[in-house]
Amino acid sequence: MLSTTPTSVVRARGLRKDYGRASALDGLELTVNPGEVHGFLGPNGAGKSTTLRILLGLVHRTAGEVEVLGRDPWPDPTATNRDIAYVPGDVALWPNLTGGEAIDLLLNLRGGGDQAELARLIDVFDLDPRKKSRTYSKGNRQKVALVAAFARRAPLYILDEPTSGLDPLIEAVFRQEIERARDAGSTVLLSSHLLGEVEQLCDHVTIIRGGRTVEAAPMGELISRATTSDGELPTLESLFLRHYETDEK
Amino acid sequence: MNAAILRFQLRRERVLLPVWVLGITGLLTASGLAITREFGNEQERAAVVALAAGNPAFLFLRGLPDGTGAGALTFFQTFSFLAVLIGLMNVFLITRHTRAEEDSDRSELLHATPISRTSTLWSALAIAVGANLTAAVLVASAGLLLGLNPVGAILTGAALGSVGLAFAGVAALCAQIMPTSRGANGLGAAVLGAAYLVRGVGDALGTATDTTHVDASWVSLLSPIGWAQSTRPFSDANGVPLFVPVLVGLATAAAAVLVRRHRDLGASLIAQRLGRPIWPSATPWRLAIRTQRSTTIGWSIGALILGLLAGALSPFVLEAVGANDELAALIRRLAPQLDVDTGELFAIALLGISATLAAAAGVQAMLRLRVDEAEGRAELVLSGRLSRIGLLGRQLAVAAASTIVVAIIGGLAAGLGFILAGEGPDRIGTSLATAAVHLPAAMIFIALTALAFAFTPQLTAAIGWGLLVIGLVVGQLGDLVGLPRWVQDISPFRHIPAVPIESVEPMPLVVMAAIAAAAGAGAALGLRRRDIPA
Repeated sequence: MLSTTPTSVVRARGLRKDYGRASALDGLELTVNPGEVHGFLGPNGAGKSTTLRILLGLVHRTAGEVEVLGRDPWPDPTATNRDIAYVPGDVALWPNLTGGEAIDLLLNLRGGGDQAELARLIDVFDLDPRKKSRTYSKGNRQKVALVAAFARRAPLYILDEPTSGLDPLIEAVFRQEIERARDAGSTVLLSSHLLGEVEQLCDHVTIIRGGRTVEAAPMGELISRATTSDGELPTLESLFLRHYETDEK
Repeated sequence: MNAAILRFQLRRERVLLPVWVLGITGLLTASGLAITREFGNEQERAAVVALAAGNPAFLFLRGLPDGTGAGALTFFQTFSFLAVLIGLMNVFLITRHTRAEEDSDRSELLHATPISRTSTLWSALAIAVGANLTAAVLVASAGLLLGLNPVGAILTGAALGSVGLAFAGVAALCAQIMPTSRGANGLGAAVLGAAYLVRGVGDALGTATDTTHVDASWVSLLSPIGWAQSTRPFSDANGVPLFVPVLVGLATAAAAVLVRRHRDLGASLIAQRLGRPIWPSATPWRLAIRTQRSTTIGWSIGALILGLLAGALSPFVLEAVGANDELAALIRRLAPQLDVDTGELFAIALLGISATLAAAAGVQAMLRLRVDEAEGRAELVLSGRLSRIGLLGRQLAVAAASTIVVAIIGGLAAGLGFILAGEGPDRIGTSLATAAVHLPAAMIFIALTALAFAFTPQLTAAIGWGLLVIGLVVGQLGDLVGLPRWVQDISPFRHIPAVPIESVEPMPLVVMAAIAAAAGAGAALGLRRRDIPA
């Protein structure tokens, strides 16, 4: 049988995840197309991290379909994860390893990285890789994970609030690296709360709430929708926020 | 398994695991040397073995006497203790690389790379197998160098290694069951403790075949340690029973791999429950008590079981000894001054272990301060109106209370056990006293842990647990490893009267309480001068 190139890099249909009686995901839909930077938004507890963990094969869905790079990630996560670079929202490192050692470990597990590129990234992210991880601040731990992710080109980047804890200069560096990855043909799935960052970087946006998709549209369409109403221009931010507000309000 | 993961885990083990393996080997070597030095000739050894054979407390704590050779005596004196140590080594090792990694979210970074779901578990198990093999080889070599019977030496190493394998598997399964690393370590240690106790009961109820051999009762064969001991390396050496602990290890490890293959990262068979949404009565005191509640309950269950066994089993133990007239006659001849109830000695020995659990509960409660500091919670608490002295004093009080609760439960349970066995209610008072005289010594260990927290915060855990273990080894096994008397006397455990056999001298207890108070005050002074977090 011939293997066909998947039309979308990530495809989730009717995705459900239950924890006991509580459900974290309740029929989520997500499509990420090749080469796009896809913003993944939603209030805290909406199910963003659960979704990303399902895509990485860390967590098994209760129901629904999911395909990452043309495969179901659960049966053999090694097959999909070799083409993924991941940055978790809450980076925990090994206290007695230096930042440099942690980067090398993560890179080696992914098949190794280019040393020149690694040196460049450590420089632009302004990281001291000789320090023990226990001494790192939240932002520095985040940098370790970002450097390890970008030092080896991946067809798919899955980033879970990667800039939380970074200062504005490093945030700008992060945006540059995302642009580089996009230019090299990578796909990026970016979960974020920084609406400015999303507006600046993303080609496409999916907004979820309560484990369901409430909005999925190209950025251009969202912008035009935000600006077409007459009179004063509602900002993109107010459009995003409308989806965050709960029905009870 | 993945070579990079294996190298990574080995790198993290480069200090801790060798310390464990060498410590176990060193302890066996030291006691072997002491035995060959102190009991050079057959007659001396025959006397000491006979005394042990007639004393169920010894049988419970140490195991079964099995002949009068130097090897047999070394095996009898050390094996069950070393089995517990190698079991703990495996429990902590496996938890460190499995549940602790998931508990701290570090495994999320690792498992998002192309490694299989079970690769960290497999390589942790592989390291455990390697460590147990190394320990087996080193213990066997130490035995050979000591000039013990070669078959016996090799079988002793193999028996220890097999117990290690059993608990590597058990720990792997505990890591699938419990949601936190503390829970996984606790469950693993509890299973290990149960294995030691069951063997102890079975051995104490054993029957002496002559004055130097005791056969275990069937109860011992409910424990992997009992099976390992039944190889009898220095008499009827037989390696076949070792299949049982090895099979226990294989079965539990296979179950763990199976569970891990099908569960989500971070999930566990026993899930975290939801708690109450509000806590209107929250105060620093309640917080300090609340955070120690579940661990104190855990230690108390251990003390409860030990206490009940101490009381309830003592008549049976007496019966088991009385059944052998030849042995009883020999003991009367060898040690006429030993005119005490062997059942009493048995209860005192068990309450001694239960008091050690109480001390451990207190040390663990003190260590909580360092964990809170390292994980950023201390700043949060100290940013309010709480002073540093208040924080330390409160934790000292909670740690002391935790120790007292565990000790009292052990004593009460022993009294209850005696009553169940048909003795009078005055037993409750004596048993409580037996347990209570251990408290000043326990307070010293709590205060020293506080001192370490104040002056060497990064070494708090190592010093806290390390001192307790050293105190135990020196105090309980000092004779065994042939330490000079003054070194033995440093251990607080040496100054505890064996109530009700010995009378209570108040002086040593008062001195120990004073030392504890001084160390606690020193900790308060030290904590005022250092950075938080440090």
